[in-house]
Amino acid sequence: MSSPTTVEASSKLASKCPSGPLAERWSKHRFELKLVNPANRRKFHVLVVGTGLAGASAASSLAELGYSVSAFCIQDSPRRAHSIAAQGGINAAKNYQNDGDSVHRLFYDTIKGGDFRARESNVHRLAEVSVNIIDQCVALGVPFAREYGGLLANRSFGGAQVSRTFYARGQTGQQLLLGAYSGLMRQVGEGQVKLYPRHEMLDLVVIDGVARGIVCRDLTTGEIKSYAGDAVLLCTGGYGNVFYLSTNAKACNVTAAWRAHKRGALFANACYTQIHPTCIPVSGSHQSKLTLMSESLRNDGRVWVPKAKGDTRSPEQIPEDERDYYLERKYPSFGNLSPRDISSRAAKQVCDEGRGVGASKMSVFLDFRAAIERDGVDEIRSRYGNLFQMYERITGEDPYRVPMRIYPAVHYTMGGLWVDYNLESTVPGLFVLGEANFSDHGANRLGASALMQGLADGYFVIPYTIAAHLAGRKLGKISTSHDEFKRVEQGVRERIERLKNAKGKRSPDSFHRELGLLMWDKCGMARNADGLREALVKIRELRDAYWQDVKIPGDAAELNNVLEHAGRVADFFELAELMCMDALHRNESCGGHFREEYQTPDGEAKRDDANFCYAGAWEYAPESPSGKVGWSMHKEPLVFENVKLAERSYK
Amino acid sequence: MSSSHDTHASHAAAPTHEKKHLALTLHVWRQRAATSEGKFVTYKLDDVSPDMSFLEMLDVLNERLIANGEEPIAFDHDCREGICGACSLTINGQPHGFERETTTCQIHMRRFEDGQTIYIEPFRANAFPVVKDLVVDRGAFDRIIAAGGFITARAGSAPDANALPIAGDVAESAMDAAACIGCGACVASCKNASAMLFVSAKVSHLALLPQGQAERSRRVLAMVEQMDKEGFGNCTNESECEAACPKGISVANIARLNREYLRALACGD
Amino acid sequence: MVRRIASLWSSSIGKKALMSVTGLLLIGFLVLHLVGNLQLFADDGGKSFDAYAAKLKSFGPLLYVAEFGLGALFLAHLALGLRVTFENRAARAQRYALERDRGARSFASATMVVTGVIVLIFLVIHLLDFRLREMAPDGLAAMVVRRLSEPAGALIYVVGVAALGVHLSHAFRSAFQTLGLSGKGWDTPLARLGKAIAIVLGVGFAMFPLVFFSGAKKASHQASLEPARPIHAASDVTTEAIR
Repeated sequence: MSSPTTVEASSKLASKCPSGPLAERWSKHRFELKLVNPANRRKFHVLVVGTGLAGASAASSLAELGYSVSAFCIQDSPRRAHSIAAQGGINAAKNYQNDGDSVHRLFYDTIKGGDFRARESNVHRLAEVSVNIIDQCVALGVPFAREYGGLLANRSFGGAQVSRTFYARGQTGQQLLLGAYSGLMRQVGEGQVKLYPRHEMLDLVVIDGVARGIVCRDLTTGEIKSYAGDAVLLCTGGYGNVFYLSTNAKACNVTAAWRAHKRGALFANACYTQIHPTCIPVSGSHQSKLTLMSESLRNDGRVWVPKAKGDTRSPEQIPEDERDYYLERKYPSFGNLSPRDISSRAAKQVCDEGRGVGASKMSVFLDFRAAIERDGVDEIRSRYGNLFQMYERITGEDPYRVPMRIYPAVHYTMGGLWVDYNLESTVPGLFVLGEANFSDHGANRLGASALMQGLADGYFVIPYTIAAHLAGRKLGKISTSHDEFKRVEQGVRERIERLKNAKGKRSPDSFHRELGLLMWDKCGMARNADGLREALVKIRELRDAYWQDVKIPGDAAELNNVLEHAGRVADFFELAELMCMDALHRNESCGGHFREEYQTPDGEAKRDDANFCYAGAWEYAPESPSGKVGWSMHKEPLVFENVKLAERSYK
Repeated sequence: MSSSHDTHASHAAAPTHEKKHLALTLHVWRQRAATSEGKFVTYKLDDVSPDMSFLEMLDVLNERLIANGEEPIAFDHDCREGICGACSLTINGQPHGFERETTTCQIHMRRFEDGQTIYIEPFRANAFPVVKDLVVDRGAFDRIIAAGGFITARAGSAPDANALPIAGDVAESAMDAAACIGCGACVASCKNASAMLFVSAKVSHLALLPQGQAERSRRVLAMVEQMDKEGFGNCTNESECEAACPKGISVANIARLNREYLRALACGD
Repeated sequence: MVRRIASLWSSSIGKKALMSVTGLLLIGFLVLHLVGNLQLFADDGGKSFDAYAAKLKSFGPLLYVAEFGLGALFLAHLALGLRVTFENRAARAQRYALERDRGARSFASATMVVTGVIVLIFLVIHLLDFRLREMAPDGLAAMVVRRLSEPAGALIYVVGVAALGVHLSHAFRSAFQTLGLSGKGWDTPLARLGKAIAIVLGVGFAMFPLVFFSGAKKASHQASLEPARPIHAASDVTTEAIR
């Protein structure tokens, strides 16, 4: 064991990681897992919540195995899940380019990219099945980019020195999701999956300690209904929308995961947040979401701000020697291509110094002048035409003439519900897949790895590991007439009533914006203990005000967008508190968690492997019968037997 | 940094002052439920920032309605970056508004004139019943896909991805068709409310690829049968769908769908 | 198999394919019809045209079979067209308050039903004029020339064939699209060919009323200068005038 940590493991967190040589663990584990007889599978009913890459792939592959599946999504169609917005690509250790890639290299890059805060066994399994994912997607008809000769094309992506990223134009997420969705719809057509669009899971039903069902609101009719099953899969995505402004879709929320958390599923590493450096900056107080510009722009664009504070000249009036190309200055070897977290923090730093640009002073230039002079306008247009057009559409500025303005934005959350090697949470029978779990990316996710994880979990992990639960536990027949379902339904109704009856003055959206701003300031790209403590006080105040002063017009028994949002905002308040607590407790900087107190003299993240090399999983523990929120921490030490913990350096 | 709920001091900026704000008159379709009668309701906004997106303009209006204790306008939206296909809206008689290859969520108010009147209606088709206000039910598209819009490939059974080379231009053509976001603007813009462009995009995508050959005949017959059951109209080859499609899907796909269908009738198994 | 054939009649694409095939066959007939009619311009007092008509007559029952086939094609095209139109109207029960297209529609494509109905009415008149009426003693050519020399006759025929031309300018390309015989590099040539066929047929057929009507005017002008002639010689006058 090369674990540097002296952390004591919590008995609640049995990772169930197999032992033995890293590369053999997954196949050994699969052999040891119980199986469900094909004839018995149809007797098991699995509830899958969420239909993104993880949910759609899980629902379709379980249905193919013969399980009876119900799939739920809040969108009007499963095809609209937010996986669809991923642009860049999907990693796989195919080594089609013959450039030295291997399963072990993908494993290593992912562990290192995650700043050594992920489980070795999980990450290795992810790298192993990555190759099957590409095969599966091609078989489903995903039109990946190809070379003239017909073989699959690859590109390189941040954090790797090999070309292992498969892509379908700038729409990889869309094409992968449509592939998974088509497989799901095939099973719907065959009656093996029952589909519930516009249904929102509002609570988890746990009977005799095992997850046995969910309670949903039919978003069209407002009806509260229960669904019973033998296992529940949460594939409900990340919680970046706690910041209000993020690159996430508007409907992305934490509610399903949060309800499960309050029913006993531990929530791990809540503070790990990925900030993407190249987004279109905020233009006004009306801003509803942020748009990502592909990172590839940094291949040819140079990032700069004026050297002087408060310089209001237009960019072309600022002479070369009065510009600060700060990424090139600080990170000469990686320059404008420095990793996401580092580039993001550097942008924040210069803006905090008062050297930001644009009307808001909260953006930096991404300048293509040099590239246009070098390669010509036509060449730049052929490389980035679509992106430049999108930028112009949104900002009204022509990036061929004026430098683009960019600023970092919340993009992905590495934290989530704690799961063991089987993807099972601390509530037996409750499995968590994709971005909703905490498992594979540690403290920072590499580009093009989110799609890989979602599909790995759904196609190639859960079909095997769910059997451990279904075959391994005695699951009696349970229907929604069980008292516990009635009780949980009642709780859901009362909560909706409480929100509706507040009859205050402010919309849920206005509270959400305020919470988001607070989180961005205090728990965003950089955090410090004082700020986090201050945030904790303010979040609690704001949360209390929320329940008094929120205003929800309309009826609960019909489509009511405001009511839907109101429930999600209420959960974001509680999550925000946990995120700040988690950030406050983690006295180190790692990946997407940068604590200002813990940095090297030149401003880089400083990990503390001796004390924090663990996954921190929080157990919900109300402090009093009145339901006041409180948590206790459980630790799963991270053991590194196959890699050496090292400092990430990009200088 | 202090925070008040209406000024996002740090990650939001004051709108640029030199740009003139717009005054707009909106006629918005309001309909309580599928079975209710709907009608236009007129709203006036006098301080619309040209930097707002069209949906942000509606957000602002909704915030005001909530403040007045009125019900906000229901509309579908999600990613707000033009890829999920959730947003709809027929703006001044044109699905997704007047800009070419643009979804409603990507329209910005700087493209409108001060003092302009804007009609906002739902996507209209019998096969897309109104759920509420501007929200319609596009479940018909899901049912068409369930009928046959897939390649049967069980997880675990796939051969190596490079085992079957697919020429670059074939893959590109398949991708052109696969770019459909399933928003339904083709149906909404067709005077016959036909779903041919949507169905043809999926049929083309899969028929072009070698993986899609085994189910080629069955797929097109089943998808067209389901399309007809849903109550869409017939194609009269006017190409308005192509002009309205935010992803620029070509009507050449409709020709391919017709070819595939007739081929399947003539010599399908 | 029966089900497959039935779906030609019942499915959206099947219906349109049948419309396309019947439409294209009707275009084929129109081409033959135009070629045959050109004999009206022969400088022989209508002899060759009448001989052509007699030749067709001589086929006896075969002619009836052909006419029956033609009628069936037309009726099928008509029935399908009406059915498709009603279905299309019904597919959007609630219309838009404001409707604005994006300019992809053409005048011809937007008026297919209108031009189709005009052609239908025209066809009924045309059959009443020349097929369902007793043959004049001076022959069919004379009958035609007489009819097309009247102002009302000329107007009806010009309007009828103009509607036909407009109809065809969308129909031809549309039929190929519906039969899946377009795409890639074929779209533009097919569209051009469609326009050309529409112009040739439209202008070709319009020539008859235009020429005979203007010829008759001229003839009547001449008639006022010369001694009166028996009416049955009108056709001679006209051919004279053409010369």
